[in-house]
Formats: sequence, structure tokens, C-alpha cells
Amino acid sequence: MPNPNYAKSDTTISIPLKLTASIKEYENKPDQDIWSAFNKGDELAFNYIYRMYASPMFQFGAQISNDEYILQDCIQNIFIYLRRKRGGLSKVQNIKAYLFKILQRELIRKINREKGTSYDTRNLGEAFFPIEISHETKLIQDEFDEEKKKLVEEALDQLTVRQRQAILLLYEEGMSYKEVAEVMELNEVKSARKIIYRALASLRVLLKNRKQTI
Amino acid sequence: MRYKDYDIEDFLMDEFFIQWIKNPNDNNRHFWEKWLEQHPEKRPVVMEAVSIISAIHYKGKFAVNDSLYIETFENIIKAERECGHKVKNTSERRTWDFFVLFRQVAAGLLILFCLGLLYRVVFDPAVQEEVKEHEVVVLKKANPAGKKSLITLSDGSKIYLNAESEISYKAGFPDSVRHLRLRGEAFFEVAKESRPFVVETQGTQIQVLGTSFNVNQKENGSLTVALVSGKVRINDPQGNQVNLEPNEMMVKDQGGNLHKTNFDPLEITGWKDKILVFKKSTFSEVREKIEKWYGVEVRINGRINSNWSYSGIYKDETLENVLRGIFFTSGLSYTIENKNVTITNPR
Repeated sequence: MPNPNYAKSDTTISIPLKLTASIKEYENKPDQDIWSAFNKGDELAFNYIYRMYASPMFQFGAQISNDEYILQDCIQNIFIYLRRKRGGLSKVQNIKAYLFKILQRELIRKINREKGTSYDTRNLGEAFFPIEISHETKLIQDEFDEEKKKLVEEALDQLTVRQRQAILLLYEEGMSYKEVAEVMELNEVKSARKIIYRALASLRVLLKNRKQTI
Repeated sequence: MRYKDYDIEDFLMDEFFIQWIKNPNDNNRHFWEKWLEQHPEKRPVVMEAVSIISAIHYKGKFAVNDSLYIETFENIIKAERECGHKVKNTSERRTWDFFVLFRQVAAGLLILFCLGLLYRVVFDPAVQEEVKEHEVVVLKKANPAGKKSLITLSDGSKIYLNAESEISYKAGFPDSVRHLRLRGEAFFEVAKESRPFVVETQGTQIQVLGTSFNVNQKENGSLTVALVSGKVRINDPQGNQVNLEPNEMMVKDQGGNLHKTNFDPLEITGWKDKILVFKKSTFSEVREKIEKWYGVEVRINGRINSNWSYSGIYKDETLENVLRGIFFTSGLSYTIENKNVTITNPR
């Protein structure tokens, strides 16, 4: 027969029921603390991590594979794995960069298995991480100059996939060089700077072209 | 090198500068605004760097819809529960049996709780109310300012509900007509079916079979219906009937006068894809749109030139970036404090 005293002492039912509790609790905490709470089994910490990073993970992962099933499979496997390993997880300084890094690995592993390719973090498919230049802050009544658009596209074509990835992590995701280095599995932060520097050199046509229009 | 000696490439490399564009906070905002005041000659090059950084985007936008988001969460939690089954222990069997059972129940409750929580909080969907009416459940979804939502109906139709808008309908559409009431603005993608789909707004009926169209009913009584594809028929309370072809928009002004016109799809329906569009907008139009879009209140210090107008497109941008884009270039300054925006004309 069930023992009511046992039930009362179980901690799984004493989760705070505050709806926005996980956000309130963690939004101003450093990533290490959130991660260590998650590692200790705190469900609110997991809730917070999922809420903050699941959508960005889909968005980032879609730059490698836009197959919804592959994305979903990899993302849920990562979280299932992390939850099972709770108690023995190593420290994480930056949750977003860490999750992006392991998502990239997982996606590449899955794509390699299914398509027989041999990509890895340093050898990404040429079609990964395409960049789009929007002209959102431009006036709409300006006709979009076809010639200028062509120049921009040509400049982007000259970038390598690693350069595009670094640029997107920096400008689209708003990551720091340290985070970019972590996602791209670079040993040194200055390597990330170097990649951006080279990419901007390739984009000089675009910069020069824009300067003339001021 | 000092910031005053920076050229565009240097700004584009600078982490502190990029953070001001991508993750503005009190610290970097204060610095860069003060710095620009002292170095007005650097304004053009800074604006160039700002526009390049904010122009770079992923090519493939992947929209995570609610069902994918929930399903993934559920799968993660369920995998956990299945893991719980594998507990193997022969001694203290009873305790374990109970423990496993208890864990299942607790996990089940947890899932239910989490799903409920996800529905209510994570996606911040419209507030949902259920009203019993002749034993039929009437579902009501309402969005306050600053919130938009995507609703999928039981027949597969999709409704993008804008901020400050509300819809209500009978759950499961039990009648011979799929009937729905709207206040405010919504974009409909109606699934084809033999039963007609009718949107009613302030007595005006919009009838369709399978189409996509935008309805915007304003508090002052004006109404626009813009048809993207398919066919719609509109009947107003005065007995007027209007048929629309794709790319046509019916406009009913405050006085109840009807006319047909063409429309710019981005301007009319962009909001459902989180695209904020200003097209030669006057100051009060800009103000109204920002208040509705972000759920803020906009105040003005000083006078704004009556000729002032603004055009621009912002895709899924933060309030900060939109304000910067609009007002920075026109020499107006802005401050954001909680839900209050103040625009100041220093001249």
C-alpha cells in the first residue's frame, strides 16, 4: 500500500507554482550559477534554459540543416542527454555558446551518418550559414539599386563558410569574440578576431561602396 | 587607438560597439550617446557601421511554432520518465513499486503542469477564456498591446492575431458555418472546406471558402479587408455587398463609405511576419504603431515639425533598434524607461 508519509516527503511535488518564477529567479544570475543549479537537478533552472535557448538553437541549427525533424531530434537528444547526466556535468561559463557548440556537433554527426558526408566543425559544408543582407533601415521609397545589390552578393560569395559563421555569430547573435571562439571550437579568442578581420577585408568592396553613397 | 581615430572597419571589429547595437544596456548606451555628442563628426561613420551590423542576418529564418516547441519539451520530459521505468531493485520491492508509480504520477502531473505553464507563459499566447453558451464552449483569445499570437483552429485554419485584438468562436466549429468574431486586426489563412468561413466584425460579415486575407477594424469604426489569395465576399450592416479579388483591399471609412483600392502586401500584412513597416508615416502614425507593437507609451518633449515623415522596414527588431533607426537620423533623441518612451527635440 502506498505510504502517505513517503509521498509528502518527496520533493518533486513541491515545485514553486509561480508562472514566471524561472525567469524571475534566473534572469540576472551568471550562467555558471544557472548551470550549476541545473546540474543539481533544479527544474526551474532547466525550465529557464529551455525557454531562453530552445528557439535560438532551432534558429542557429537551421543554418546547418533546415530539416525540422533533424533539428528537433538533435535538440531534444541534447537536452535528454544533459538531464540524464545531471550531477556529473562539467562547469559551463556561457550556456548559449556551449549549447550552440554541442548542437553543431550533433547536427554534423547526424548529417554525416545520413548523407555519408564527412563534415566537422572546421570543415563545414559550403552551403551552411548563408548570409542575407537586409535593407531594413533604408528608406522604402529608395529603389533598391540592383547594381549595389549585386556587388554586395559578390562580396558575400567571397567569404568562406567559417567567415560567414563568425560574422553571423557576432552580428546576428550578438555574441562576444569569446563566445564565437567557443562555438567555433577555436582555442584562442584572437583567432575569432582574425577570422572577422579577414572577412571584413573581403567585404571592403561593400564598405567602400557604401562610403561613396554617404 | 582611440575611438576618435576609428574608421568603419575598426568600429565593425569593436566588441563594445557591437554590443551597443545588439545588446544595448544602460552602460554601453550611456557611453556611446555621450561619446557621439562629443564627436558629432563621427556620426556618419557610426551610422554606417550601425546599418551594416544590423543588416546582416541569417538567410533562412526558422520559425519555431508553438506545437514544435511544446512537443520538443514534452519529448524531453517523457524520455526522462521512461528512464524512470528502468529502476531495477528486488529488495524493498513494495517501496520501489510505489516509488515508480508515484514518480509516474508525479511526472504526469509535472508534464501537465509544464504544458499548462508553457501554454500560458512561455509563448505568452492570448489570454484564453472559456464561456459556456448553450453547452457549446466559446473560445476567446485576446492580445494586449505589445503581444501578437498565432492561433491554429481545429479545421487547420491559421489566424495571426495582432496586438490589442480579440477573436472568439465556438470550439470545434459545430455549426454548418465556421463563424468567428473579431475585434481589432487579424490575418487569416483559411483552410479549404465545404463549409463557408465567416468573420464578423461590428456587424460586417466577411465570407470566404479558402483564402488568406487581412482584416483591420479600428476603434474609430473604420475597417479594411485586404485579400491576398482566393475570394471573399463582404456584407455590411447597411446592406452593401463587396466582392474582392486578390490584391484588392476594401476600405470602409469612419463615415461608412466603401471603396476598393490596391495595397502593398508588406505594409498591410507584414506585421504577421514580425515586420514593422512605416511608409511615409506621420509622427502620430509612427507613435501609434510603436505603442501598439511594443506595448509602450510614447511621450514628446518639444515640437515635432509637421512635415516630419518616416519610411522604414524593421524585421523582428528590438524597440531600441527601431527607435534608434527612426529618431537618431532625424536628430531627435529618445529615452526608454520601463514601458515609457520619451522623444525629445533638442532644437
